Order: sequence, then structure tokens, then C-alpha cells
Amino acid sequence: MRVLIVEDEARLANNIAEALRERCGYAVDRAGNGTDGAALTEFKHYDLLLLDLMLPGMDGLSIVRQVRRRKDMTPILILTARDQPAQVVELLNAGADDYLTKPFDLGELLARAKALIRRGKGASQPELTVGRISLNTVEQTVRCAGELIDLSPTEYRLLEYLIFRPRAIVSARELLEHLYDYNWQHHSNVIEAHVSNLRKKLRTVGEETTIATLRGRGYRLEAPEQQP
Amino acid sequence: MSTAAIGTHSLSRQLIGGVLLAELLCAALFSAVAIGHEMHGRRRAFDVMLRGRADSLMGAVQDAEDPEDNVIVDPTELVLPAQDVYEVLNPAGRVLGHSPGSSADLLAALRSSHTPGYFNFRAGREYYRALRFDGVRVIDREEHGGYRRTVTVLYASPTRDLWHGAVEAVWFYIAASALLLAVTGIALVWFLRRRLSPLQELAAIAGRVSTRSWEFVPPAVVLRTAELAPIALSIEVLLKGLQQSFESQRQLTGDAAHELKTSIAVLKSSLQLLSMAPRTAEQYEAGLEGLLLDSDRMEELVNRMLMLTRLEEAPVEENESCDLRTVVRAVAERLQPLASLKQVVLEVSRGDARFVSMPPGDADVLCSNLLVNALQSSSPYKHVSVVLQTHDGVTELIVADQGEGIPESALPHVFDRFYRADRSRSRASGGAGLGLSICKAIVERSGGTIQIQSDIGKGTEVTVTLLALPTPDRRATDSPPASPA
Repeated sequence: MRVLIVEDEARLANNIAEALRERCGYAVDRAGNGTDGAALTEFKHYDLLLLDLMLPGMDGLSIVRQVRRRKDMTPILILTARDQPAQVVELLNAGADDYLTKPFDLGELLARAKALIRRGKGASQPELTVGRISLNTVEQTVRCAGELIDLSPTEYRLLEYLIFRPRAIVSARELLEHLYDYNWQHHSNVIEAHVSNLRKKLRTVGEETTIATLRGRGYRLEAPEQQP
Repeated sequence: MSTAAIGTHSLSRQLIGGVLLAELLCAALFSAVAIGHEMHGRRRAFDVMLRGRADSLMGAVQDAEDPEDNVIVDPTELVLPAQDVYEVLNPAGRVLGHSPGSSADLLAALRSSHTPGYFNFRAGREYYRALRFDGVRVIDREEHGGYRRTVTVLYASPTRDLWHGAVEAVWFYIAASALLLAVTGIALVWFLRRRLSPLQELAAIAGRVSTRSWEFVPPAVVLRTAELAPIALSIEVLLKGLQQSFESQRQLTGDAAHELKTSIAVLKSSLQLLSMAPRTAEQYEAGLEGLLLDSDRMEELVNRMLMLTRLEEAPVEENESCDLRTVVRAVAERLQPLASLKQVVLEVSRGDARFVSMPPGDADVLCSNLLVNALQSSSPYKHVSVVLQTHDGVTELIVADQGEGIPESALPHVFDRFYRADRSRSRASGGAGLGLSICKAIVERSGGTIQIQSDIGKGTEVTVTLLALPTPDRRATDSPPASPA
């Protein structure tokens, strides 16, 4: 998952980014002003937008309106130091999904971020299951029939991204865009290597669910047909 | 005004009272004149009537048909009111005849006047008006050319009826006046109620104004009223001013809260991030260092906010002054390391300006804020110059830099509190948008002005103009003012 933070208070943006990377395993990009932030949202790489309301260049509300005008469904969480009801109503009506008032609890921010991403992808519970595999987004663990599978952070993130869309084809480019921030040097064969490792680990525990490579098109998480 | 006295004086009540009083006076005066006139007319009519009755009495004087050729009064043909009193005398004073039903006392009273003409008398409880006149009666004109007989006629009639009529007239006037007063009073109340309705409307609309709803639109009828329009307009102007200052105060509180909450959010998130997972000693150390910096910034913010409040609340004390040149030198010396770090050339010109009426502490804050701003907006190898000059009784402090300048759209706001032309940069340099507001408050507190002009790409120049004070004695000028290092 990849998150964009648009916040002009550098120390705060830094803390949130660190927490999201460390506790959720998300890739995080940061913008220090509204104009840069709005430009970054146009790539549609993000699974969540975290916006400060008072920003130099362009304020958070304008970014929300611009994103929603493009029919971009990316979940948006607003950070604001003002919590007048009228302003909150205006924000939510403009298309924001949630808001937090400063000073907020970092743990709460992480929980809300996870919930918004989950909801954005059509899941309502933190635990996702395909075949015998279950992935817990809160604990960041993967189990096969109750048995813990030891995955590297990148493998976990890869599986997490794919498990939200089982049986759908996800391109290598999309995976790159959603799993790494823009400081990362993009090499598509990195994805191939991680997919291959993940496949091996699943096979080791005897799981039939696997990640199929569709040449030139991408990857697909395939679960065996359920026995009736 | 005490609350107990509110609303006890009513303009409309006073107005109605005044008008009714004036009307009453008019009515009284008019009635008095009318009654006087009436009485005069009635008395004259009474006199004429007396004369007429006396004349007809004269006509009743006849030859007595006796040897002395006496005359008598034969009242049989006369029709005179029964209450009238009369007497006819011959020149010798003999009574030729008198009213039949009159008492001797009454006749004696009638005879009391000896001069011809009208007179009044009282008999018993009755008042009379009487006429005495001497007349010549020619008797038996056909026989011998007639006998001329001189007689004196005294005729009186009670004035009771005359007064009765007068009292009736007075009552009529009084009743008519009272009716008129009542009618005009009612009409006045109705009219005033109707005419004063714009005043009540104005009061109602003004009463609806509160700190939440500032709307005050005087109705057209109020604006059309010459007496009310100025009141309505001045209320409107006053409310606009109040609303503006309220809004700016609200904005200010909001901005201050925003800054403080953001600072707290930084501190809190830093602490929570640090405690989310076990860290190494190095990580804790780095985290604590960051936290210390964050709390320093917050302290600075609070200090600046408090300073601004202090500056705006307390007026400058009398005869507080400082040597601006010494202050500028001290500040420049203190900021030299920052200039060296940024590789900016800091030039302080030799000026003749010296004393201004500004507390030394304030002057220090003013100079360092202006200089730090100039240094921070300068790129390496640029110059920051400080010029101090006095002419025409004013001292000018000019701080100029060769930085990137301030956009024209931002210039009018640079003295606003919490305003940052470029927020991200100012945040990075630790400002909260209060530096120039503090400068402005300091300068204005000392009765001076501060101006800023800027050209994009060329630089910014801030000019502080203060009243120059005469230099005190030599020794005082040599000792530097207490500098809050």
C-alpha cells in the first residue's frame, strides 16, 4: 500500500510517515505544500491520501474537490487543527472520508488509515482469507490453516495488496507503483523476485493457493476451487 | 445610568403632554377673551334693555287730571317684568309712581344714587343694575301746545339672569375646550404611535444584533426619516467596525489555537512514534533531541504570543528612551555568527541618529527581528544593510536585504499575526508568522510607523520611522543601554 501525506509541518509529516512505514508496512510519499500534493495525486498511485487542511499553495479542501472531480475514489483522511462542525460537514460533503483533529493519537491515525484502505478495497474486516491462507492486517501476519508463515516485509506487502483482489490480474507496474515510494529505484524484476519467493514459501507449507504469472499482463492470486 | 431609570422617560408621553398643555393654555386664554367679550356684549345689551324699559316707563307718565297739573305713572298699560324695580320722581323729589310689588327697602336702595347714569346696587341677596335719568315728558300736546314736565326715572333689573346667561356661556366654552382637548389628545396618541413606528422598528432590528448575528439592515422607512437616518447609519457603521474587530479577534484566536495544536501534535506524535516499538539507545537519543527542539519551538511560539499581548495591552511608559545606534550595533554583533553561517554580508552604516522614545528591550527585539528576517531571506554572498538616519526631527531605521522579495499580493498582510508569505519556508526557519507583527506593535507603541516595500528578485526594505529625541548629556550617550543579550 502506498500513502501520500500532504502536510507543511515537516516534523509532523516525518513522524506520521515513519509510523506508517514501521507499523503498517506502507510505502509513504510526502509533499510539503498543496500544489505539490495535488500534482502527486494525479498519478493515482495511492491507496490513501492524508491531507492537512491549512496548506501553503493549495488548501486541503481544494485538493479533495480536485481529486473527487476526477472520479478518483482514493480514500481521503483529513488532518485539521480546527474542528468547527460546519467545517467538518463541508469537508465530508466535498468528498473526504474521515478526519482527525490535531493533536491526534498516532495509534488512532494508523487504525483509521488501515480501516480506510480496507474499506476502499471493499473489505470490512481486518482479516482477509483466500483458500487456507488468512492475512491479518492489524498484526501484519499470514497464516496457513492456523500455522504462521514467515514472510519478509516486502513479501507481506505484496500478498496484502494481491489478497484484496483475488483472481484479478494485477500488473507488475501497478505493484511497483503501490508498494514503493518515489525514492525507490524502479526495477520490474524486483517484483518478479519477490513473487517467486512468496510462491515458494506458500508451496513449502503445502498451500495450493498460488500466484500465477501471466506473461506480459501481470500476476494473479489463484485459490483452488472450494470443495463443496 | 442606573438600570432602574431605564425607560421611565417617554418622548411621546412628553410630547403629548406638552401639546395638550399648550392646547389647554390656548383654550383657557381663548375662553377668557371670549367670556370677556361675551360679558361686555351682554352688559351692553342689558343696558340697552334697561334704557328701553325705562323709556317705556317714561311713556306711562300721564296727566294726573288734578288742579295742580300733577303727573302720575299709570302702569296699567305697561308690560314690565315683575322682578324689575322702578320709581319715577318729580324734580321736587316726590314719588310719582313705583313698581307695585317692591318693598320700601328695595326702593330706598334704588334711590341711593343721585347722579344720572348706570349703577349697581345690592338689596338683600339680589344684585341689581340700574339706570337713573332725567327726562322731559310733554303732556296734552294737542290742547295748549302741551305741558312740559321734567321727571326722573330710576329703573333697575336684577342681574341674576345676566349672570345666569354668562355662566352658561362659560360652561359652554369650557365643555367645548375639554372636548377639543380630548379629541386632539386621542388623535395625537394615535398619530404619534403611527409616526414613531420607524423608531420602534429600528429598536427592534438593533435589538436582534448579537455577536453571532451581525446583520443590521435599517428598513427603508427609517432611512427616509431625517431624524432617524443618521442614528441608523451610525449604528450600521459602528456594528461593521465591531464585527470586523470581532472577526479578526476570532481569526486570531483560531490561528493561535492552530499553531499551538500543531506544535502539540508534533510533540505528541514524536513521543508516540518513539514508544511504538522498542528502540535502540541511539534512536532514543535522536528522538529526545528532536523533542527538545520541538519544545523549544513551542516555547518560542508561546513567548512571542505573550510578548505581542503585552505590547498591545500596556502603553509605553513616559521618558523611556534608548540609544538606537548602540542597540543596532549590539544586535548586529550578536547576529554576525548567523550572517557568517549563511555567508551573508551584514553592513551597518554609521548614522547620526541616536535617541528615540522606545524601551531598550523593545528596540532590541525590533532590531533583531528585522535583521533575522533579512538574513534568513538572503542567499549566500548577498548583502543586508542597516541604515540609521535623522532628518526633520524623525529617526529612520532602514533594514534592506537582497533576497527574493515578497509577492505583491502578500505585502498588505505581512504585519498580520500568523501570516506567512511562504508558510513552508517560514516553518522550516522556525517562524510562526509573528515576527513582523511584534515589530509593528513595538513601533506603534512608541508612536512610530513601520513600512515595507519589496521587489521580487531584488529584495525587501523595511523602514521604521520614529520621533527623534534630543541627545541628553555626553556621559549618558556613552553608556550603552541595558541590553537583554
